[in-house]
Amino acid sequence: MLDVYSGYNIPIYGITVSAISFFVILFTTPKIISSLIAKGEVVEDYHKPDKPPVPRPAGPVLLIGIAVAEIVLYLLTLNIKVIAILFTSVIAFIVGFIDDRKVMPGWFKPIALIAAAIPLIVLGAHGTHLNLVFGSVSIPLLYIPLILVIISTVGNTINSIDVFNGVATGFVIIAMIPLLASIAIFGSNEAFIAALPLLFGTIAFYKYHKYPSKIFPGDSGTLLMGAMYGAVAIIGNSEIIGTIALLPAVMNSFLFLATVKKIVEHRQVKVRPVVLTDDFKLAATKEKNAPITLVRLILLDGPLSEKEIGYQIFKLAIFTSMLAFISIVIQYSFLSGVLHL
Amino acid sequence: MRPAGLMGFITIMWIMILTVAAFLIIIVVPIDIVLFRDRIDRLITSIIQASIAIGIVLILILTLSTMKKIYMQRKL
Repeated sequence: MLDVYSGYNIPIYGITVSAISFFVILFTTPKIISSLIAKGEVVEDYHKPDKPPVPRPAGPVLLIGIAVAEIVLYLLTLNIKVIAILFTSVIAFIVGFIDDRKVMPGWFKPIALIAAAIPLIVLGAHGTHLNLVFGSVSIPLLYIPLILVIISTVGNTINSIDVFNGVATGFVIIAMIPLLASIAIFGSNEAFIAALPLLFGTIAFYKYHKYPSKIFPGDSGTLLMGAMYGAVAIIGNSEIIGTIALLPAVMNSFLFLATVKKIVEHRQVKVRPVVLTDDFKLAATKEKNAPITLVRLILLDGPLSEKEIGYQIFKLAIFTSMLAFISIVIQYSFLSGVLHL
Repeated sequence: MRPAGLMGFITIMWIMILTVAAFLIIIVVPIDIVLFRDRIDRLITSIIQASIAIGIVLILILTLSTMKKIYMQRKL
């Protein structure tokens, strides 16, 4: 739990790193947008009339904002866990940036992201206990492979939800709220403060990524957000709560893998799960062998515009955040001894 | 409300996660004391516990896959 009497000045440090991340991303993104447009680094926005060009990737600007905030936090606290989170985020960014620059096979991101978990293990940033809502278990050996799985899975899960304007960023913002609450209760001061740049950085970035997007995060942006989310959940002893907050995205990845039955890039899928109608709405395909995704399930009730789909996904994210908050209350009741199994 | 069906699906997923967590805490964690009465090596106990946990997660995945099929059949 947050210790306000510790050596850290939590409000000052928290406000400082949040402001750094927020303002660096807020003021740097327009410059990156201009630079990417000038270089011709744009992609078509498929779901809009005339398919307007949108600059990509925004991963570098997210990295700059978050990295500066984390470096300042490290200089203030000299806590190695901050460096572990930073290195994990940087490696995830590099993996995504390679995929942004060159079309890589489907296995590349899940396998390469395992490397992003290594700083957490090598720098000893992880604990040995896993909070399982109704209690805590000591798994010193099993925790190591679990970290590798968590970072790779969460990174790719956020990447897979980046299907429409603003969805990945908005989703991370919503999921971060119960995660931060969980870290504040079950984690530590440094984990809580180190997680703040991700929330405030994504809030600043949402201004440009929301519908209609002025820039796309690209794989470098989404993998950075996902891996950092996983890293702060691990360091903040909030793995299960963090997973519950991500359930719609987890469900999306699960449904896709369960139907495609192999790890492939979305662009490699021959039958699309959704189709674009003449009035630029999206509808669920009638093809039986098309992959099942979260968006396809949402559209089974009828076609929606891109903006409306985004709102439906945000409704689901808010709903799972509420489930995550209920889980926090249950976990607190059991870990504090109020309730027993 | 449009995503009500999906919210139901997600709620069932959440209940299943909590059930698995409760099962691990009640049954799997104290298995060395309850079943083996502390007579087996700690490493072997850990391997048994990890195997049971992985088995439960696989059952969870299979159940979710079945749920997905039922949901799609009802909607299509």
